[in-house]
Amino acid sequence: MTSLEHRSPPKAFAPAGIRWRTMITIAWRMMFHNKLKMAGTLIGVVFAVVLSNQQAGTFLGLIKKNTMFVDYSGADLWIVRPSTLTLQASKPMGIAALYTARATPGVAWAEPLIYGGAAIQLPAGGSEPVQFVGTSAPRFAGGPWNVVAGTRESLMRPNTMIFEDSERERLGGLNLGSVREVNGTKVQIGGITWGLLPFGPSFAFAEYELARRMLRVDPDQTHFVLLGLEPGASADAVKRSIMAHSPDLKVVGREEFRGMIISFLLRRSPIGITFGTSTVFALIVGFVIVSLSMFSAVVDNIREFGTLKAIGATNGDLAKIVVTQSITFALMGSLIGLALITRIAAAIRSPKLAVQLPPQMLLGTTVVMVLMCVAASSLAVLRLRKVEPGMVFR
Amino acid sequence: MSASTKRVVDASGVVKEYGDGATKFRALRGVDFHAHEGEFVILSGPSGSGKTTLVSILGCVLSATAGQVRILDEVITGVPEAELPKLRLAYIGFIFQGHNLIASMTAQENVALMLALRGWNSVDASKEAARLLSLVELGDKLANLPADLSGGQRQRVSIARCLAGNPPIVLADEPTASLDAQTGQLVTELLHNLAKKRGHTVVTVTHDNRIYHFADRIVHIEDGMILATEKGNPP
Repeated sequence: MTSLEHRSPPKAFAPAGIRWRTMITIAWRMMFHNKLKMAGTLIGVVFAVVLSNQQAGTFLGLIKKNTMFVDYSGADLWIVRPSTLTLQASKPMGIAALYTARATPGVAWAEPLIYGGAAIQLPAGGSEPVQFVGTSAPRFAGGPWNVVAGTRESLMRPNTMIFEDSERERLGGLNLGSVREVNGTKVQIGGITWGLLPFGPSFAFAEYELARRMLRVDPDQTHFVLLGLEPGASADAVKRSIMAHSPDLKVVGREEFRGMIISFLLRRSPIGITFGTSTVFALIVGFVIVSLSMFSAVVDNIREFGTLKAIGATNGDLAKIVVTQSITFALMGSLIGLALITRIAAAIRSPKLAVQLPPQMLLGTTVVMVLMCVAASSLAVLRLRKVEPGMVFR
Repeated sequence: MSASTKRVVDASGVVKEYGDGATKFRALRGVDFHAHEGEFVILSGPSGSGKTTLVSILGCVLSATAGQVRILDEVITGVPEAELPKLRLAYIGFIFQGHNLIASMTAQENVALMLALRGWNSVDASKEAARLLSLVELGDKLANLPADLSGGQRQRVSIARCLAGNPPIVLADEPTASLDAQTGQLVTELLHNLAKKRGHTVVTVTHDNRIYHFADRIVHIEDGMILATEKGNPP
């Protein structure tokens, strides 16, 4: 003590801003001081992020497999049979619907689409099924996309088809120019697509008339009619107009059709429950790990928390420390976990499985992790409320 | 202590009971205690005598079961528990036997933390913390973590922290218990100077009779009651 000094009255209780800054500093210092414990908690968050995104991303990937045809068809509206629940082979409808559509104000174009199952004969004997699509040239609405070899226009050549790259081996080692028999008709391979592999057999495309003959659909019938709207045209007005002329048919928009397909998939298959359960399981495991780690960290530092209380920190201040730590764990764990799952998804990406990680899901994951970690810290906060400042005298 | 100095702590008839029914334990049995501005008082007594309970009540850490405690002009008995942290910040600086520094924060940050709780902004708090650490001759240890300091140095950081914000009362719990004789002497001199040079009211709980002579008064507690008060022989 070097000089005589006189006491001055102590300053007031710190305002909320300063208290928050102070508690955030303490929270981070405590976190980074015990790196092993921090790593343990982070592993819990990263595990939850990676596993939940992997499951949810795979689920979205499977959904996309089933809806990609509608997404890439280029059609604003689809004319379907009223019994249609999803995109699948069905009884044909009268071709009159096509002409009704073309005559409807607001419709820029309308094209028929053949959609059914076919079998390709293998060179070594036997056959394999394909999802056969007949599309009208030159617009090719509902036609092949992602053509990686050959051209879509090759379909305008006689008896020419386009097949999927990932199924080439299974379909007997297909190459451009290969000749195969499909539904009893010899066809030449004019193009190869990449990634057009729905839940079932891969897509195989032919020009509309060829497809109609191969599937033995009468000339006055078709499976679907695809419509493009004129700019500014009202989809609802067009739907009402067509259905007024063809009350035995249904007109659905692209999003509506997607919704029907997804709804069908969720109701008729267990993938929703399977992936939903796995995602929830990942979140529960992450919650438990984070909860126990944070509680353990509080118990380890209980004397420091007691000291903070003794020197003037409130229960609310201590809760700020734990909540700050939980949010930090959530953000750090999300960052690491999302970086990992993004790389994993890219590494395992194939036409058979493309894990979908839309930005909304990545952002949503971070929000869920923050909520999960804050909820997981509640046990620690409850423990802190019971800390007596008097413990520092023992 | 002359009658002209201000009475900072004034406790009368303080009772503290723990538990209920058959397990009820009376730790303090009607204690009267006071301390003046600039006074250095030692509370002495065997383990379980009630001296730590008394310090806890004076420090607004525990509430008394009965009796009245006044700090300066404010009666603190009967104040709701949620308000006690504000009273501690307003009136009390603590020095603990085990130093109780935050292990993950540097010496300067430990001291600045106390100032931040009292409403100082971070820049001013850092400057003041450095100044206070210089006062206890630790100006060259600002960036050291507690683990990098000796026991005596940690206790001096603890003293600097207790001075942060200039609380009128300093309560020290066995401040020399974990220190060697020489360091204990140094720490006690610091406490004595807090009272004599800075005007703090210093109340120290100790078993260490080597430092009794520093005190203005030595108050002996046993079985929850004050048995005797004797005058010290301060330098």
